[in-house]
Amino acid sequence: MRTTATVLADETSRRTRELFQQAQTNIHLRTDQLFARLMVFQWLAGMVAAIWISPLTWIGATSEIHWHVYAATLLGGLITGFPIFLIWRHPGAALTRQVVAVAQMVFSALLIHLTGGRIETHFHIFGSLAFLAFYRDWRVLVTATLVVVIDHVLRGTYWPLSVFGVLTASPWRWLEHAGWVVFEDTFLFIAIHQSLREMRGLAERQASLESLNTSIEQKVTERTAELTREIAVRRQAELALVESQALYHSLVEQLPIKVYRMDAAGRFVYVNSGFCTMKGLPAEQILGQGIHELDPPALAAQNERDHEFIMRTGETLEREDSLPSPDGTLTQHFQVVKLPVRSADQRIIGSQGVHFDITQRKLAQARLDELNRELVDTSRRAGMAEVATSVLHNVGNVLNSVNVSSSLIAEKIRQSKIGNVARAMALFQVHAADLGNFLAHDPKGRQLPGYLVNLTSHLEQEQAEQRTEVETLIKNLNHIKEIVAMQQGYARISGVLELMPVNELVEDAIRLNTVAMDRHHIKIVCELGAAQPALLDRHKVLQVLVNLIRNAKHACEEAGRPDRQIRVRVVDSESRVAISVSDNGVGIPPENLTRIFNHGFTTRAEGHGFGLHSSALAAREMGGRLFALSEGPGQGAVFTLEIPRPPTKVNP
Amino acid sequence: MVNPATHQKSLDLTEVLSTPSGGLSGAKRSPGIWLGLILWLALVAGALAWMSYHTHRPGPTTAAPAYWPQNSKIARDRKVPTLLMFAHPRCPCTRATLGELAVFMAQAQGKVQAEVWFLKPVPAPYAWTNTDLWQTAAAIPGVSVHEDRDGREARLFGAETSGEALLYQTDGRLQFQGGITESRGHAGDNDGRAALAALVAGEPLSMVRTPVFGCPLFATNCRVEGDVGKP
Repeated sequence: MRTTATVLADETSRRTRELFQQAQTNIHLRTDQLFARLMVFQWLAGMVAAIWISPLTWIGATSEIHWHVYAATLLGGLITGFPIFLIWRHPGAALTRQVVAVAQMVFSALLIHLTGGRIETHFHIFGSLAFLAFYRDWRVLVTATLVVVIDHVLRGTYWPLSVFGVLTASPWRWLEHAGWVVFEDTFLFIAIHQSLREMRGLAERQASLESLNTSIEQKVTERTAELTREIAVRRQAELALVESQALYHSLVEQLPIKVYRMDAAGRFVYVNSGFCTMKGLPAEQILGQGIHELDPPALAAQNERDHEFIMRTGETLEREDSLPSPDGTLTQHFQVVKLPVRSADQRIIGSQGVHFDITQRKLAQARLDELNRELVDTSRRAGMAEVATSVLHNVGNVLNSVNVSSSLIAEKIRQSKIGNVARAMALFQVHAADLGNFLAHDPKGRQLPGYLVNLTSHLEQEQAEQRTEVETLIKNLNHIKEIVAMQQGYARISGVLELMPVNELVEDAIRLNTVAMDRHHIKIVCELGAAQPALLDRHKVLQVLVNLIRNAKHACEEAGRPDRQIRVRVVDSESRVAISVSDNGVGIPPENLTRIFNHGFTTRAEGHGFGLHSSALAAREMGGRLFALSEGPGQGAVFTLEIPRPPTKVNP
Repeated sequence: MVNPATHQKSLDLTEVLSTPSGGLSGAKRSPGIWLGLILWLALVAGALAWMSYHTHRPGPTTAAPAYWPQNSKIARDRKVPTLLMFAHPRCPCTRATLGELAVFMAQAQGKVQAEVWFLKPVPAPYAWTNTDLWQTAAAIPGVSVHEDRDGREARLFGAETSGEALLYQTDGRLQFQGGITESRGHAGDNDGRAALAALVAGEPLSMVRTPVFGCPLFATNCRVEGDVGKP
């Protein structure tokens, strides 16, 4: 695998050759132009020389133009024309300079001839060789030298005198002449070699510089591209930052929040417009101010404690603050989240906070609470009405008994034999004087003691019967009194938790329904375990139990079974007290089990669907629950009230 | 700085006609260039050959009197050999001959009496012979210059071509006849000058004849021989 250095070296070498060839080509072009001018000049010079030296040839007294003039013009033109043509049409070509070399040497011969073989004219050959060396192409000198050699060899062969001047010259004398040419050629070859070497060195240096320049430009290009990308990324980041800032500004300034930031010394360094509105001050008057300069003393002290706490611990605080509005007309409520401001190295350098205006929420909550209270009161009242209905129902029942008892007593009194006593006493008063006689002898008197005995027995029976009725009456009246007193007591203590025996409460509930149960021949079975006193709302529990027992009674009535029975059971544990009321009544279809506690849901024509709903609410208010179980229609139902026992002791 | 356009052009031409190392491969694609080259070389070579041929073609000569003619008005020196040269005062080819004469005279060191007789046709203007050749010849030490009216002496000595030289020994015997240039109007060492030098130096040489290169002194001969011998 070629390394990068090898590739660069090859590229530099290639570029060196290219530059060298360019330089050579330029030299060839320039030298071509030089020779074009030189050859035209020497052609003109040859014609001038011919005209000057031998304008005319003479035969005796007559003359005509010397053929030298024609030779200089025509032959000179012929010699000059072709290389000029090549220089014109093919400058820089190797053939061109070779033809130039031939032409230059031939022109030397012409000039030598035109000048009568003057030895000085021979310098044209050597001068031409020097000029030809301008091509820096040794082949051109070889060609020129070969022309000289060929000329000498041919003319030495055919006209030796014309070359060497003497007939006796050595046949190898052309070597002497050629030797001088080669002598000059040697220097020229050396000069050309050195020149080419320098050119190659220049080309190498230029190629190296270009390579270096290319490398630098490439690096610059790459770096520029990187910078462009970085700039694009930076612009993108700046754009994102601007968008982020806009988003931040939008969030901070347009959301209904109040934002502030304080430095470590507790001075405001940033506030948003919401915060300014909250404080009723422009930002200029807030920034740089301390906590105590803006807030009321109590709030300022709290805020200062919060700031110090955050600076010390770095923890986040959340609290609710209430502030008077800037115009003092209302109280504003804020949920405040306070958290630390950290530097890049995570040092805590201040605190900041966000105020959420919860005034409306607070007002809504207050309204909700009020509505809830109203609802609870309504429920309570409804429950109380239920209880009152039950109470009145029971009181009515008791009053029936009272009425019966009082009627019986009245009847007994009306049918009493007590009047017979008065008549017996009248007989005694009539026969007071002879009472003994009367008792002994008088037929009436003799029957009177027996009559009195029977009367006494009858009156005693009558008294016993009236006493029984009176006791029943008293009992019923006491029952009424208890019911009323109980109702009054529950109504009075509603909403208050008290520690009381659960069993007693259950018995009260049963008692409230005893008469109805008796009248409907429903047997109530109590399974009251050794339940511990529990902390509960007596009224609510009684309300729930009365409801449950009454519903059980209705279920039993609807079932029409002869063995109607309601079972009340108390199961006590450490965490809860469960009171279940089960019946063998009509039962509950499964689809109704989930709806049975809904407001307004009822299965009875005369029901209003409020009892179980309010009972469930009451159970929930006590932290407990009310749930129902039923195997289905005709299978009876079990309603269970669970009341938790609080883990810690709470004062009643 | 390389002009890109030029660079491109040169590269294209390099591709067409040559390789950077000087090859001629590109010319294979341009046979016209080769044909032009061959034609050009042929024309130039032919012209040069014709020029050489013409240059080395001697002028007409006639054998000179073996002994100094008695009817000549030229006085022969009795002490040293006499060198006579007949020349055309306006022949450009004779300039080289006078140059060789100057060399010879310098070598002869007074061992020869030299006279140059310039042709003066009749009729001719007064100063017709007063040319640079006359001045050149007159300036050569040991050379005397004379007018040869109507070529009388030239005819007498059988000279027909400008630059023909004759060396007569002190006893009147012709020792040398011919030119002292190696070709027409061409300066440089030549057999004629060398022979003269040897003769003057006393070397025992027989009669020496060399070709003469120069303008015809007389038109008649030219007409007879056509353009042969025309300089």
